[in-house]
Amino acid sequence: MRHLQAVVLLATWFSVAVPAQVSHQRLVQAAREPQNWLTYNGNFHSTHHSGLDQIKAANVAGLELKWVFQANSLEKFEATPLVVDGVMYTVEPPNTVVALDTRTGRPFWIYQHPVPTATYACCGNVNRGLAILDNTLFIGTLDSYLVALDASTGRKKWQTKVFDYTKGYALAVAPLAVKDKVIIGTAGGERGISGFLAAYDAKTGKEVWKFHNIAQPGEPGHETWEGDSWKTGGASIWVTGSYDPELNLTYWGIGNPGPDWNPFVRKGDNLYSDCVVALDADTGKLKWHYQFTVNDEWDYDSVQVPVLADLPWKGQPRKLMLWGNRNGFFYVLDRVTGEFLSAKPFVKQTWNAGFDEKGRPFKAPGKSPTIGGTDVYPGVQGGTNWYAPSFSPRTRLFYVTAWEDYHGAYFTWNQEYEPGKSFTGGTVSGPFPSIRRERFIKWDSSWGYGVVRALNPATGEKVWDYPMRDVSDAGILTTGSDLLFSGNREGYFFSLDAKTGKELWKRYLGGMVAASPVTFLVDGKQYVSIAAGHSLFTFGLRE
Amino acid sequence: MLVLPPGLALLRAQGHGSIAGTPFSTPEDAVIGAKSFQSQCAACHGAKGVGSAAGPALNTGTFKRGGSDEALFGNITKGVQGTPMVGFALDGAEVWRLIAYLRTLNAGMGAENAKGNATKGAQLFRSAGCVKCHTAGDSGGYLGPDLSEIGSRRSLADLERSILDPNAEVAPDFWTLRARTKSGQNLTGIRLNEDMDSFQLREASGRLRSVMKSDLASHEIIHTSPMPSFKGKLQRAELDDLLAFLASQRTPLTAEAPAQ
Repeated sequence: MRHLQAVVLLATWFSVAVPAQVSHQRLVQAAREPQNWLTYNGNFHSTHHSGLDQIKAANVAGLELKWVFQANSLEKFEATPLVVDGVMYTVEPPNTVVALDTRTGRPFWIYQHPVPTATYACCGNVNRGLAILDNTLFIGTLDSYLVALDASTGRKKWQTKVFDYTKGYALAVAPLAVKDKVIIGTAGGERGISGFLAAYDAKTGKEVWKFHNIAQPGEPGHETWEGDSWKTGGASIWVTGSYDPELNLTYWGIGNPGPDWNPFVRKGDNLYSDCVVALDADTGKLKWHYQFTVNDEWDYDSVQVPVLADLPWKGQPRKLMLWGNRNGFFYVLDRVTGEFLSAKPFVKQTWNAGFDEKGRPFKAPGKSPTIGGTDVYPGVQGGTNWYAPSFSPRTRLFYVTAWEDYHGAYFTWNQEYEPGKSFTGGTVSGPFPSIRRERFIKWDSSWGYGVVRALNPATGEKVWDYPMRDVSDAGILTTGSDLLFSGNREGYFFSLDAKTGKELWKRYLGGMVAASPVTFLVDGKQYVSIAAGHSLFTFGLRE
Repeated sequence: MLVLPPGLALLRAQGHGSIAGTPFSTPEDAVIGAKSFQSQCAACHGAKGVGSAAGPALNTGTFKRGGSDEALFGNITKGVQGTPMVGFALDGAEVWRLIAYLRTLNAGMGAENAKGNATKGAQLFRSAGCVKCHTAGDSGGYLGPDLSEIGSRRSLADLERSILDPNAEVAPDFWTLRARTKSGQNLTGIRLNEDMDSFQLREASGRLRSVMKSDLASHEIIHTSPMPSFKGKLQRAELDDLLAFLASQRTPLTAEAPAQ
């Protein structure tokens, strides 16, 4: 009997003691394990919502700091962590992967990818995070490699060269792991790249399919590029897409056409820049696309998180896609067909003069960039940008970090393309907030302001606002207790009532928040983490 | 500004790592370089480049950050970003003489000098059971050190010693935590991190976990290796094959190695 007990104990030991095995099925059902945070946006629908509800309006005032992870880097900390069974995986900028103990914040292991002295990222040596599949982590690097790491040790399993980084290509986006593949796209929209999205075999790193973000010769849409402009047309990818397992479609937002502010040398719609594309996840074949800004003149990358929501639309249940775009409009699309359902500005905008019945935008006259500069709302950083919005299936509201009343002047000039070099065809100026906030805030209201804004997807109407003094590059998390967490450039991390926008808790973390929060359980207790400045802060309820 | 003598540039183009033919590659230059090494480098890289906790071994026959003259020159004078290695303000001749000395440390140490057959060694790595605890190539266990890049970190002599006498040197990175919780659960794993209140460990399965010291009834940190000695268990030829395989497990050096 004792022997039998020992055998059973041993068997239990081996069955329990397995490393992180995050199967595709677990990713599909991520909402069923809210103790973890398994993808860049928490789940394939990219709602950035967690069902956890221990921290709630009644006790959120009792949040206290549990631990801090300090990065050995002064680069901007934009990564959203993954949390898998007690281990947090994140990226210390620029390209160092760390596995942290969620109890204490102490590292289990660190993998340092060697980053060249000269890189080609437009806006800082940043990285937005990781994907996990089975026991393998995936990171895209600034020198344009896709690297697979053993989640138990940080050992490099393989690396695949996605492109020659010296031609202006950089990987900053968190990859998306779907089935047996890892999908990633490349940044470089300001350097005349030819953007693409590609899927690699998760076991070997071999390329399985490639989607050209710029329609190539012989492909439909190629005629939307004048002359040879398609060769250097940009159309980058730097924010992670979504996946609908029932449709087997993966959705990705595509960046601006290049040169950014000289649309006159690339006449035409410039497909598939500024589009959302729906691709077959097995083949990369285009199922449908929708272009938010045709022949973009203002650098309105459509590089936002595609949020998938199942909601009634005009009385009928429908598979929807909700999209707060950099161009200042909130869109609702049918994600099965790509049908345009509605668009409504969520911030002040002056570039658009309406839509036709299929959703093609009409441009307002006199808003093109000029030699002397043309003032347009929103300014170049957009009505929103890359940071995560959130959709709560409980409140049925869409939450977006917005830049309201924000404008800037757009200038244009002719520029010759040189491989790897900046290729923008103009500039921007005026009341133009820099990408990185300095330690002094000397803001002026005439430059606009940041706001967490709750929208009703059915109408696009604002439900409530949480205005800030400065603007914000922080993403949004909502929870099963109807709390909302976000932060801002002022260095605050705060919690709001997701139903009303009322501020419930706020802490100054000493550095700007340019990341999105996540939540998870540690020993059965709910924690919330956010990167701010050069550190990652983790809060839980006082015990 | 790095200016290579024309002869050296030619050698590099031919794939040679040697600085033979430069004005600073004589045995006398290496002797002078040895003195510089002792005063400037040995504090971190160990006497004769055997390595220490502060810096990697420089006598393994390969250089993780690039073994070309240019890469070595750059790393010595400019440092290696993200590591404790800073740039040293030495004059050009002194740097070249240091490199001359490094070449003598590495002569005969590389994988190409292993006598055995690496393919047979790879088979032995599996059949002798090494793979149950060590990872090399595509697969392996988590209990022992990952050997995927061991050929870049250890000389042939070091590797042989580790196989025949595993306890000769067990780095703190591979000490074992053995503990029993107050609830009676036994824990064993590689101690990855430890503070006043907690341990972080990796179990043999690869699972990462932590434990609070306040939850432990007892614990010990074992400084010896659980690896059996292979002394007398392998024929000399087999040992050479295994060494050849391990020496071939190297950091891939690519054209995209970090520019310095």
